[in-house]
Amino acid sequence: MLLKMKTRNFNRGVVTVAAALMLMACSKDFLEVPPKGFYAETNYYQNETQAFSGLIAVYDIMKKQAGGFENMVAMLNAGSDDFYAGGGSSTDGAGIQGFSNYTIGPTTIPISFWSDFYQGISRANVLLTKLPGVPMDENNKARFAAETKALRAYYYFQLVNMFGEIPFYTTNLSQDEFYTIEKSQPAVVFAQIEQDLTEAIQGLPGTINLATEAGRFTKGAAQALLGKVYLYQGKNAQAVPLFAEVNGTPGQTNQYGNKLLANFSDLWVISNKFNTESILEAQYTNKSGSIWENWGSGADEGNSLNQMVGPRGYTVTAGSSAPTYYSGWAFNPVTLDLANAMAGDPRFASTIADITPLVAAGTANYSPAYKDTGFFLKKFMPYLADRTTEAGTPELNFRQNMYVIRLADTYLMEAEALGGTGARAQALLDAVRARVGLPAVQVSLTAIYNERRMELAGEGHRWLDLVRTGRAATVLASRGFIAGKHEHWPIPLKETENTKVTQNPAYN
Amino acid sequence: MKLLKLRFFYFVCLLFTLSAWAQDGTVNGVITDESGLPVPGASVMVKGTSTSTSSDIDGKYSVQASPSSTLVFSYVGYSNQEIAVGNKTTINVSMAASAQNLDEVVVVGYGTQKKAVVTGAISSVRAKDLENVPLTTVGQSLQGRASGVYVAQNAGQPGSSATIRVRGITTFNNNDPLWVVDGVIVDNGGMNFLNQSDIESMEVLKDAASQAIYGARAAAGVILITTKKGKAGKISVNYNGFAGFSKAARRLDLLNATQYGTLRNEAYANGFSGGTFRLPYPNAASLGKGTDWQDIIFNDSAQRSQHEFSVSGGNDKSTFYLSAALTDQEGIVTTEISNYIRKNIRLNSTHKLGKYVTIGQTLGYSHEKSKGLGNTNNEFGGPLSSAINLDPETPAIVTDPSTRPNPGDYDFQYAVKDPNGQYYGISGASLNEMTNPLAYIQTRLGNYSWADNFVGNAYVEVAPIEGLKFRSTVGAKLAYYGTESFTPLSYLNNINNVQRNSLYREQNRNFGWNIENTVSYTKLLGKHNFSVLGGQATYIDNDRRSNGVTYYNQPVNNHHDASFNWFTVREDILGWASTGNKHIVTSLFARATYDYNEKYLFTGIIRRDGSSRFGDNNKYGTFPSFSLGWVPVKEDFWKENKVVTNLKIRGGYGVVGNDNIGDFAYLATVGGGRNYTLGNGVGDNPISIVVGNSPNAPSNPDIKWEETAQTNIGFETTLFNDLSLEFDWYKKKTTGILQPIQIPGYVGAPGAPLGNVADMQNTGVDISLTYRKQLGDFNLSVTGNGSTVKNEVTFIGNDRKFNTGPSFQSMGPITRYEIGTAINQFYGFQTMGIFQNQAEIDNYKNAAGTVIQPNAVPGDFRWADLNGDGKITDEGDRKYLGNPLPKFTYGLTINLAYKGWDLMAFGQGAAGNKIFQGLRRLDLLNANWQTAALERWTGEGTSNTYPRLSTLDNNKNFTRMSNFYLQKGDYFRIKIIQVGYSLPSDVINKVGLAKTRLYVTAENLFTFTKYTGYDPEIGGDVSGIDRGYYPQARSFMLGVNLSF
Repeated sequence: MLLKMKTRNFNRGVVTVAAALMLMACSKDFLEVPPKGFYAETNYYQNETQAFSGLIAVYDIMKKQAGGFENMVAMLNAGSDDFYAGGGSSTDGAGIQGFSNYTIGPTTIPISFWSDFYQGISRANVLLTKLPGVPMDENNKARFAAETKALRAYYYFQLVNMFGEIPFYTTNLSQDEFYTIEKSQPAVVFAQIEQDLTEAIQGLPGTINLATEAGRFTKGAAQALLGKVYLYQGKNAQAVPLFAEVNGTPGQTNQYGNKLLANFSDLWVISNKFNTESILEAQYTNKSGSIWENWGSGADEGNSLNQMVGPRGYTVTAGSSAPTYYSGWAFNPVTLDLANAMAGDPRFASTIADITPLVAAGTANYSPAYKDTGFFLKKFMPYLADRTTEAGTPELNFRQNMYVIRLADTYLMEAEALGGTGARAQALLDAVRARVGLPAVQVSLTAIYNERRMELAGEGHRWLDLVRTGRAATVLASRGFIAGKHEHWPIPLKETENTKVTQNPAYN
Repeated sequence: MKLLKLRFFYFVCLLFTLSAWAQDGTVNGVITDESGLPVPGASVMVKGTSTSTSSDIDGKYSVQASPSSTLVFSYVGYSNQEIAVGNKTTINVSMAASAQNLDEVVVVGYGTQKKAVVTGAISSVRAKDLENVPLTTVGQSLQGRASGVYVAQNAGQPGSSATIRVRGITTFNNNDPLWVVDGVIVDNGGMNFLNQSDIESMEVLKDAASQAIYGARAAAGVILITTKKGKAGKISVNYNGFAGFSKAARRLDLLNATQYGTLRNEAYANGFSGGTFRLPYPNAASLGKGTDWQDIIFNDSAQRSQHEFSVSGGNDKSTFYLSAALTDQEGIVTTEISNYIRKNIRLNSTHKLGKYVTIGQTLGYSHEKSKGLGNTNNEFGGPLSSAINLDPETPAIVTDPSTRPNPGDYDFQYAVKDPNGQYYGISGASLNEMTNPLAYIQTRLGNYSWADNFVGNAYVEVAPIEGLKFRSTVGAKLAYYGTESFTPLSYLNNINNVQRNSLYREQNRNFGWNIENTVSYTKLLGKHNFSVLGGQATYIDNDRRSNGVTYYNQPVNNHHDASFNWFTVREDILGWASTGNKHIVTSLFARATYDYNEKYLFTGIIRRDGSSRFGDNNKYGTFPSFSLGWVPVKEDFWKENKVVTNLKIRGGYGVVGNDNIGDFAYLATVGGGRNYTLGNGVGDNPISIVVGNSPNAPSNPDIKWEETAQTNIGFETTLFNDLSLEFDWYKKKTTGILQPIQIPGYVGAPGAPLGNVADMQNTGVDISLTYRKQLGDFNLSVTGNGSTVKNEVTFIGNDRKFNTGPSFQSMGPITRYEIGTAINQFYGFQTMGIFQNQAEIDNYKNAAGTVIQPNAVPGDFRWADLNGDGKITDEGDRKYLGNPLPKFTYGLTINLAYKGWDLMAFGQGAAGNKIFQGLRRLDLLNANWQTAALERWTGEGTSNTYPRLSTLDNNKNFTRMSNFYLQKGDYFRIKIIQVGYSLPSDVINKVGLAKTRLYVTAENLFTFTKYTGYDPEIGGDVSGIDRGYYPQARSFMLGVNLSF
């Protein structure tokens, strides 16, 4: 009997414990694991710091200029008559090779050239929706909004230039719109770009504290960009006053403190960031510790173009005086066409590295890679000493900034918008030439186009210039450019599958 | 006359029989199993009487029996034997395992069930099936031994895991089955901590009716592992050890230097498009054989050994099982950086505390250290890929760099040298990640990973009255794992060089535990047998802390001297840390079983799970199942016959779930890392990286459990007493498969939201056969199994036409699936031979008369214009080209024993799949070729399958995914052949041994396949993609078993 009692008590104990555990099992709280290390969207954009962080995420896409393997400058250079794709072989980067020889198609166009800009646009849309509700300094709020609009305009401008008709929206798509949105005409997109930039100009500061803010949009940058947007549409009359605001008196310091650098070669000194000639600049650093796994991602702040353009296997003979270029991947080899065209131009030495004489003299050697010409894009070729000693993969952590728009460019754009005639156009052209010690030539569109090619070689402008001025079909015929097709890139295949987005003409 | 004599003899016998009741004598003997080991506890019964006894610890018995009587020897798992006593006083019996064992017990989750009344589809693998088999990892032990289970090694690297799929692909997500070891769910961090010979049994729960007891996590199958326990009686001591060596079973046929140079020249000439014509190898004929890089990476005498030692025993109060093991295996590829060592210790024990209470525990500890060569199936570098792609013209070791095409490469201070101070050759062929394996080895000597695992449980069981049991179990897995690596300054080629050395350490601690409380009651009322089980459980896993640190710029440059103790400036120290998100599951479950006289059978299970991975809308899921069985041989109408001696028909239906989807998918979140850099950096102004935050993928608060409903119908039968057969047909349908809803890039989201969007169905048949026969001293057993599976995707979501799988370089995705196809089918262009001349190109037109490939040249592939639009496009002209997953897998084991000798042969195979052979890099035009390239097209009539070589591949002969890259993946492999000899017991007994067996084993001796790569068995999320696969080794081993 005693034993039985004990057993019963024991049983009761077990049952109680089991019951308690079952209650625990049924409690929802027990199953709540708090999210840590990231924000829930509902709790974000609550103060100025968070709004600023949201703004930075919009700026992130500016790095597309030269960040990651799939960057704008290497790609645009490869499609122009001034450069080949190059690299290790004809299959080193199917996208860049395909653009270089005009075999690019919906499967070879890297999707990031499309989706990265849309990510920027989507982030801008979110921030513009959230900003009015953020408790923060109103001046800063206005500035943030202006910057966001300027960035959105820039990203749409990139998309509309490269792809033509594109899906377009200023409020982010809801889930049921993901597959139903159709492409918009470029005119619709341009109208929004103009509106965004016009509004941005109102809210942007003319000058900023470069020590802490360099990299952020300024009024001058937005004006220059809007001028460029007008110029690309042939709205020259609207472009001229904007460029005039930015350019001021040719050769003199403008209202924002911009002035052509005295020495052309100083433009390519890596530490010379945000100099007076810079209007809009994409910033890179060697401090983000980029590794292959995050190459080209938002956390990679390195300049990949630097790594890409150097000669392969470049070695300097011991004791020789040959420049100690850093060995790269031999992308964007300079065509003989450009090298010949620049022969004798004072800018040659800063623009093109001619390795052949060094090899002939036995002072240096390199492995000729695909489409090797012996000429390399010197503007972005780092030296061995520029290789980072910071954390991360050295190849991915170069730090040269990229000019998106610089004063010499806006001089020439204004001259062009003026029709390539008149005293001011002449003065603008002269100023660009005088800076490198070249004599004046009679201003004309041809002279301006030629000057752009010499001055801006390798900075990603040439292909766009050829297309917008209608010269591409002629100049790029030998590359395989087909008029009516290659003015735009094909839309990545994935974007036209399961959606209402149609492929660009002639790419089907 | 003769007849009369016989009759008289019978009469005498009869007389003796009649008088036997009064004339019992003592019969003695020893009962042994087929390998000669004593069988303790076997029952010896005098037929037709109540007299019986059982054998002692040494297998000895003694029974009173008359000469006319017959003794019946029986033991669980063995066929009964009847032996007439006659005038014998000593009867030694060798028991043979039975084909049909009605008393066998299987583990079913939270308990066991008599196999005779099991109504679900469960495959079992017993310790006996695996004894002495040289298995390094647990996954391998299921291969070919359990029907319905597909196993493929992920690499031949020692210690690497296997891909295991139970009844096909269940979901687009994680298809790894749930592993439960002694009740502890250990699905994170692999299963390597277990030592094979500690396993008593493995049960694979294949159908939903069995799986439902593990509810929300069971959809991809459940594998229950039970480790060995001690048995009351004499302490038994066992040792098993083997040692041997491994080698590569097969090598590729690659071009030698002359052939390579010739083909390079040809490709150059064919692709020449202006400029100076400069052949890469003007004197190809003088290059000779060059370097055979495979010779350099493969080791044909890689050492391998294993030692296992166990002590077990106990008394009626306590039992224990204690074991220790050491596994040491070298890889066959670059052994210096490919090897594996594991040490195991295990203690399992049970103790009876008084009459009602039993407590017990299991605890295993393992330490692993493994060196890996980096890429085991990857086209971007590593020794295998390098050996395949490196040009044979480059010497392995260079004596005079000035004779090389790029002598400047050797000027780099850290170009790697051999111990004699000679440089390792650096290819001048611009081969990116392909580097000299000898130099590569030198850069990875200091790299290894390690793991310490503690897995165990403790339980208390209270059985206050007969049939009633309360049981509480606490189980835990505590894992410490990490890596150490030293990356020296090195120059392997112009793109693989390290100009800043670094020492890296990573440490992780991952803890998971669970508590389970069950109450069960069984009752036999007449012939009605009831049992019910109710339980509650809580599981918490992924309580993980991780951190890593890198010290740059070590003052030394070899892994021996590298140390975190060198003084290192702050700027050279880089660290990281992360914390896991806990995964919590709470559950309530119940099971009821009923049988009437083991004739009509029923099992019903219900389980309700709540998971932290879902939002409030769908936190809980309920998973029911039931199954029925009928044993017609027990019916009165069933005429006993010699053909069908046992038959059970069973069927069931149930629903199980899957929450293996990652954390917080239900929340709309904002993520960082979208950074930008501000400041001009002039003077002291820092350039600061500002963290950018923006919304992540669109969220889906309504995501819920994937559900897999499965119907299973099967039967078990025994024919002619010797042949048992188990057959199952199943149909399982997974609905609401969680997958990223692939959204267009123009949406601007950095990722894709998850949704319960897709459905998929698998149907198949599992068959297993066992045949056992004893003919005198000759023992034979044959077991085989085969499984078919047919997968069909039935829905992939609104607005979606298809999904794509893994990519191969610039080809893009090489697999695809859509409604009506199986998951991840190879997808690409179809070649239709090669254009032999211009006329064929000009005449290759569609119906409208359009020349389809106007830009092709003779020697290019003729692509099928599938949509007939007169051009070859990605959109219109690709098709499904084959299935990477086998349609049929099978295994066959034959055991023969004769006196002291035994032979085991085990083979397994797969059929009906294709392998994508992506061994040559598409973007490295200077890479080496396989000798198949010698049969390329070089002129009219030379080849209709291998196109011309050209550096300008405008027709995309090689850069398009097509059937050119696919081969049949069928294979049959003789995995193991083992011959053993047990010394006669009278010899070894004298030295105190109970058993001494010597054996030789050959592993992977033959593989029958048409596949031309290293190995047709290629695991992975999508199997059958060969990017330079580390093949499994062929091994030869000598071993010994000792029992005391």
